[in-house]
Amino acid sequence: MRGLKYSEILKINKKLENHNELYAYDILLLSNVIVHQAKEITEYTLRKEGINATVELGDYDNIVQESQQQKKLDAVIIFWELSNLIDGLQYKIELLNRDEIDVIEKKIKSEINFTLKNLESCPLILINQFSSFQFSSLSIGTNNLDNLAHRLNSYLESCIHPNLKLVNLEKIIASIGIQNSFDSRYYYSSKAPYTIEFFKAYSQFIKPFFMSANGRSKKALIFDCDNTLWQGILGEDGFNGIEMSPETKNGAIYREIQSIAISLSRRGVLIGLCSKNNLKDVDEVLASHPDMVLRDEHITIKKVNWSDKIINLKEISTELNIGLDSLVFIDDAPFEINLIKEQLPQVAVIQVPEKLYEYPNTLRSSLEFFYNLSCTEEDGKKVEMYRGQTQRENIKHDFSTIDDYLASLELKVIIHKDDTSLASRVSQMTQKTNQFNLTTKRYTESEILKFIHNPKITIYTFDVSDKFGDSGVTGLCIVNRNNGSNNCILDTLLMSCRIIGRNLEYALMNYIVDVMAGKGVQTIQAAYIPSPKNMQVKNFYESCSFELINESGSVKNYSLNVGNCSSKQIEYIRLIDYGR
Amino acid sequence: MEDKLEAQIKNVMSAIFDIPTNQIGDDASSDTIESWDSLKHMNLIVGLEEEFDIEFNDEDIGSLLNLKLIKLFVEEMVTI
Repeated sequence: MRGLKYSEILKINKKLENHNELYAYDILLLSNVIVHQAKEITEYTLRKEGINATVELGDYDNIVQESQQQKKLDAVIIFWELSNLIDGLQYKIELLNRDEIDVIEKKIKSEINFTLKNLESCPLILINQFSSFQFSSLSIGTNNLDNLAHRLNSYLESCIHPNLKLVNLEKIIASIGIQNSFDSRYYYSSKAPYTIEFFKAYSQFIKPFFMSANGRSKKALIFDCDNTLWQGILGEDGFNGIEMSPETKNGAIYREIQSIAISLSRRGVLIGLCSKNNLKDVDEVLASHPDMVLRDEHITIKKVNWSDKIINLKEISTELNIGLDSLVFIDDAPFEINLIKEQLPQVAVIQVPEKLYEYPNTLRSSLEFFYNLSCTEEDGKKVEMYRGQTQRENIKHDFSTIDDYLASLELKVIIHKDDTSLASRVSQMTQKTNQFNLTTKRYTESEILKFIHNPKITIYTFDVSDKFGDSGVTGLCIVNRNNGSNNCILDTLLMSCRIIGRNLEYALMNYIVDVMAGKGVQTIQAAYIPSPKNMQVKNFYESCSFELINESGSVKNYSLNVGNCSSKQIEYIRLIDYGR
Repeated sequence: MEDKLEAQIKNVMSAIFDIPTNQIGDDASSDTIESWDSLKHMNLIVGLEEEFDIEFNDEDIGSLLNLKLIKLFVEEMVTI
């Protein structure tokens, strides 16, 4: 996987897409930063394993809002990036005092709480633990950012429930290194902090969750014996010649291997032997060799004989009544490993590494084959311990509705009219905004300046902020009154994706209608011109009580009789009007 | 050498923009390829960087909006 390039992944992923005979597995990825590259890389990683996954990306920075959606999902992944909890938090936080940080912390905790409550019925929720690595890995002390990450992580742990899994981001970052994980260029230009290499490592790391959710975890670990469970060949070196004593260098390694096997058997993994040996000799070692820690009681099935390992593994599968694809087999001999790869490709194989000291970690890295989502006893205890704590937090932070949540943001919109100093920003927004853009008309700066100087055309700009920060000029509307004084046309209406999901569009429409009514306008005309990207607003005018007049081609033309308009006011959005 | 490099670039573009290589002409640019938006541009840049083991200058990234220019920059960086 790590060997494949991004472009190769994209191509192969595309080819794997059409396995529609398989059950579709729908994942929603929510984030407060740009992580779009995770989509294809995660899909590819799971599709390779036969999971017909489709990853849908939520709108930028709309985690809370999108957690409310009703669509049936198989899993949700949440990237809640510390540095973008509020814009530029990584430097702002070091200038704040404890009370100010508390306000932010409370806000995030309540957002987490609300989001998790909304997602309660989703069978699998993965949320990344917060990390300050990107900014503070070199600082010797603990700064405000580190501390906030730590407190938020404790909070996440207190929210744990069986469907919720925390993803240890710092392990992933450590596995490839901080330098290889982050791309500051795109962090500062586009709020896209992560590299392709990071997403590759990330998708590998979270794969076991999905394997388990799709019933594809491995169930049995089958060991060869000689040079796999102990050093030496029992048939040649004899009972006293084999080595697995912690007193010797290589012996210690085999002791560790055996101990890992025991811990797996305690977790419910079936341990088996498949070895070319005399059964009597192996039984004797299991029963009475003083250096063995793995004993008969840990072993569920034994195929110790001189027949072919292919036959033995098939028998193991039949006798345990599990598929061949539930087996993992470990052997030191390349011959046996290759034979099984060829003859029984469903069986996962591990070869004992030539550098013996790598053996324990090789085995450990494959333990994720056996990962099982269902609660262990220890998890169960934790759940109870944390439940009381979570309930208390609930009372403190809960919102009961999305409106309560939006109200808590203290949204504010400053409206300007025909402001020449904003011409460049206005032009840029017409060029760049794709999703919430009703007509997708692109204008240059000089065209915008012409509009501003034309008394029949008015450009309203919307500067949106909430109590945690200012998004800047992120919405605009161009109104054309060329067709007579009691009539106007909405030439352009758009909003940056950074501010959607806050009902601002309705507040802005109310405002426009209000202003036009004040100018004696009776009819507002508007159009929806579909583009490949503006599907989400195709019914926007209907939702604002416009009447559909006609459809010419794919363009829908609307009209609103201002006198008849009874718009619902949105009380929690404060409009500060410099536009009249 | 040059043709191979161009083929490699086109191959990356084909994967990123999800169009067949033979539809990427010498005049290919963000005007001729419909799916070439700002997110895809980011993908293209990191895809090319990975392909050729190079790193574009931050200041240049915004203007690398057609095949000719991209080829010019990549050529310069891989021959150094």
